[in-house]
Amino acid sequence: MKTSIRKLLLFLCFVFVGAALYGFYLFNKRPADIRKSAASYSLSADSLLHIYDKDEARANKQFLNEVIAVSGVVSRVIIGPARDQATVMLSTIDPLEGVTCSFYDDQADALKKVQQGQEITVKGVCTGKLMDVVLNKCSIQN
Amino acid sequence: MKNILLGALVLGCFQFGYGQNRFFTKTGIISFEAGTAVEDIDAVNKSTTSIFDASSGQYEFAVLVNGFEFKRALMQQHFNEDYMESDKYPKAFLKGTISNIAAVNFKKDGSYPVTIKGVLTIHNVSRQIEVPGTFIVSGGNVSAKSQFDVALDDYKITIPSLVKDKVSKTAKVTVNCAYTPL
Repeated sequence: MKTSIRKLLLFLCFVFVGAALYGFYLFNKRPADIRKSAASYSLSADSLLHIYDKDEARANKQFLNEVIAVSGVVSRVIIGPARDQATVMLSTIDPLEGVTCSFYDDQADALKKVQQGQEITVKGVCTGKLMDVVLNKCSIQN
Repeated sequence: MKNILLGALVLGCFQFGYGQNRFFTKTGIISFEAGTAVEDIDAVNKSTTSIFDASSGQYEFAVLVNGFEFKRALMQQHFNEDYMESDKYPKAFLKGTISNIAAVNFKKDGSYPVTIKGVLTIHNVSRQIEVPGTFIVSGGNVSAKSQFDVALDDYKITIPSLVKDKVSKTAKVTVNCAYTPL
């Protein structure tokens, strides 16, 4: 009888410690490193914008928080206003709208080599659309 | 929002094309702190869209709620799913007027304090606000900074009692935008 109580207490201790460790792990877990994640969708900047312009709510259901790879022509590379903040604008057939790609801070040096007019593929997390469709946590895929 | 900003852009290009009366950014930074002594909670969004008219003082600001990046994944998940309900209310806006825009000389380097009066919409709740800001003109570049508090209750953002000691009742919001003339 005493042995079985001891075993039960030991088991409960393991469960408690396990739950506490799992809770601690979950609480402190960093957001996923998108540079290492596979893209769920690959499409052109024009296609992405077209899908959003056609039906924004539906596009959000498909793309929001998804890792996507977007190909397009660089219209602008912006470093700043914060130190190491790096953004690439991909142009589309619409002169007023495009895809804004906000890069990981450590990508600022790599982006200095990217030229206006260059065709690139950017991987990042889709966060929705304001004037542009916006990707966060971006990195260059090619 | 798209139509408002597009309209503003088109008007800016054609109506004000001869001068630098409208300024624009798609890479504005908004960050906030809503932690307590028990817990650090902060997040940043680096793809904020904003436009202002240097003649009339009209000012607009839009941000995707899903675009706020946290240091911890669970905080970001709670922020989007439980507090801000970003699936239902994906955008936040500030639309108003810089009341003393005439005090800013966009042709002369300097730091110019301003007051922005307008309607701030967060979590589908719109409220009149008045916040301080500063325009910085330097070598032809124009940037703006602002810091103000947002009471979570005002925007019907409910914090569960279990984490009430970890989340501040007020978020300290910081804005930093570098504008480009249209």
